[in-house]
Amino acid sequence: MNIWQFVLKKLIGVLPLVIGVTLVAFLLMVYFGPDLTYELLGKNPTQQDIDNMRSYLGYDQPFIWRYLDYLRELLTVDFGLSMMKDRPVTEMLAQSMPVSLLLMLPGFILGNVLAVMLALKATQHRGRWPDKSIMTFAVIGMSISFLIVIIAFQIIFSSSYGLDWFPVRGWNMKNAEDQFSMTLYLYYVTVPTLATLFVSLGYNTRFYRAVLVEEMNKDYIMTAKAYGHTSRNITYQLMLKNAMIPIITRVMFSIPLIVVSGSLLIESYFGIPGVGLMTYDAIVAGDQPVLKAVIGLTSVLFVLVLLVAEILYRVFDPRIDSRQVA
Amino acid sequence: MSLSVNTTPDIKEAQSPTSRAWWRFKNDHWGITGLLVVMIYFIISLGVWFGIWGLDWSQTSDAFHQPPSLDHWLGTNAIGQDIANRGIYATKVAFEVGLLVALCATFLGTIFGAIAGFKHNSWIDSCLLWVMGVLDSIPFYLFVAAMAYAMSELVFAMHLAMILVFWTETARVVRAEVIRLKHMEFVESAHAIGQQQVLILFKHIIPNTSHLMIIQATITFVAAIKTEVILSFLGLGVKGGISWGLMIAEATNDIQAGYFNNFIVASGLLFILVIAFNLFSDALQDALDPKLNK
Repeated sequence: MNIWQFVLKKLIGVLPLVIGVTLVAFLLMVYFGPDLTYELLGKNPTQQDIDNMRSYLGYDQPFIWRYLDYLRELLTVDFGLSMMKDRPVTEMLAQSMPVSLLLMLPGFILGNVLAVMLALKATQHRGRWPDKSIMTFAVIGMSISFLIVIIAFQIIFSSSYGLDWFPVRGWNMKNAEDQFSMTLYLYYVTVPTLATLFVSLGYNTRFYRAVLVEEMNKDYIMTAKAYGHTSRNITYQLMLKNAMIPIITRVMFSIPLIVVSGSLLIESYFGIPGVGLMTYDAIVAGDQPVLKAVIGLTSVLFVLVLLVAEILYRVFDPRIDSRQVA
Repeated sequence: MSLSVNTTPDIKEAQSPTSRAWWRFKNDHWGITGLLVVMIYFIISLGVWFGIWGLDWSQTSDAFHQPPSLDHWLGTNAIGQDIANRGIYATKVAFEVGLLVALCATFLGTIFGAIAGFKHNSWIDSCLLWVMGVLDSIPFYLFVAAMAYAMSELVFAMHLAMILVFWTETARVVRAEVIRLKHMEFVESAHAIGQQQVLILFKHIIPNTSHLMIIQATITFVAAIKTEVILSFLGLGVKGGISWGLMIAEATNDIQAGYFNNFIVASGLLFILVIAFNLFSDALQDALDPKLNK
């Protein structure tokens, strides 16, 4: 089977998933969601107004047409106007997505790189004190709620009760000359990044350590040792390379969350105008066009990442194809 | 033979897997500590359940922002409510959420996972895998938000959303184990003597996945409690009661005024319970994982 046939097969295989994901988003957001007729109408509407609004919202259409209409919205990335802001949802997304990306990226990269390094350290000293202290730290990091970390870090770094080095709220990348300023960026991004880092390090380190330990117990490592390779060589040139598949998988599956959904908690707590805050405002206000856009887009992107991951495995490791049983 | 008995006097070859697991768990000090702490929390929430303590959690008084004293062990909040009472009552709420979600999600996950694994490579398996794939593809917090939005009148919207999301992980684990089990001799011999399919699944296969059910239930419990706090904080969770998440939401206003009691109590109670449960869960996994049984 050549690579294009494989891609085509996977593409067809992923279709049911796309249909399912969009169907759930549609059912929750549009079909079973609250009736919006009266929220959009003014006071004392006539029957004519009500009928007009209902047909504008598509309530008089059969199920399948409304679902297809939602699919069309997803395909053309055009979700109409936000109910609260009277602006096109697409425009709002285009504005907030870069903010979320800038906010999440440093924490995401550092969180994964540091976790792999810590996991390597722990695996090398398995069962001894560096391993034990790193894993204790990981369990503590996993056990503290993200919410608590955010509030505590804000008290420590941004309030007058603590160091008071960073702002409590807000997001402003432009300096007086309206240019992107690195200092300002660091000023606003540091505390959210530290909070993200603190929480993700625990989970990531545990996951990567498990991956590395499993790799270390395989026969080829024993062979390499028997041949007299240095442990440094074995770790970095053999073990890490072979452990890359689960590591890359984990990284890839986090991408949709970072690109589209941002972080509900961080953005709403720090008042950063990214997708997370936009979603949070939409949840509180019941702004359906925004919600169905964010949920639909994130889910579809997730399925696409799944597809790309499978194709990449095949490209980098042709054996995967023959192993595809389940 | 005698050598192995000498080196590990407590484990004998003939012991059952269960007693071997119990022996391993007993010797895991962190796991035992975790279990004890969880039991203390459980007793606290039972006390609330039976109406012994924590009942005055919503009672207001004119003693605002009191520091800890004999009357109010952990102080009071902005409208004079006793923080200790609120923390205790919230413990019950957390346990309710954790237990309900863990039991339902584990039950659903085991049943569907076992059926999918038993009917491996059939259309039932494909359908169930499709459902799991769909649920796993929707970002979790957005899914819960969508549920809360769609069923804003329902008190149990949050619980339902968590159950719907959490069962898939258990189902995947159980499914993999059932696929492994169904090719083993004891299942084949049950087939050979003509036992019914349903009986084989429920009498012979599912009981053999019980260790996975226990482990998954503890993992789901912790996840549910942590999620409840964040959802309640965002206003999507517990309605008509008090929870640690709601206390922390309250506390964000107190913090600006320099009162930390509420925040410290709620987050401290949450942290201790979660870390104890994590330790307990880790010890259980080490004790029950058959891979280590060699």
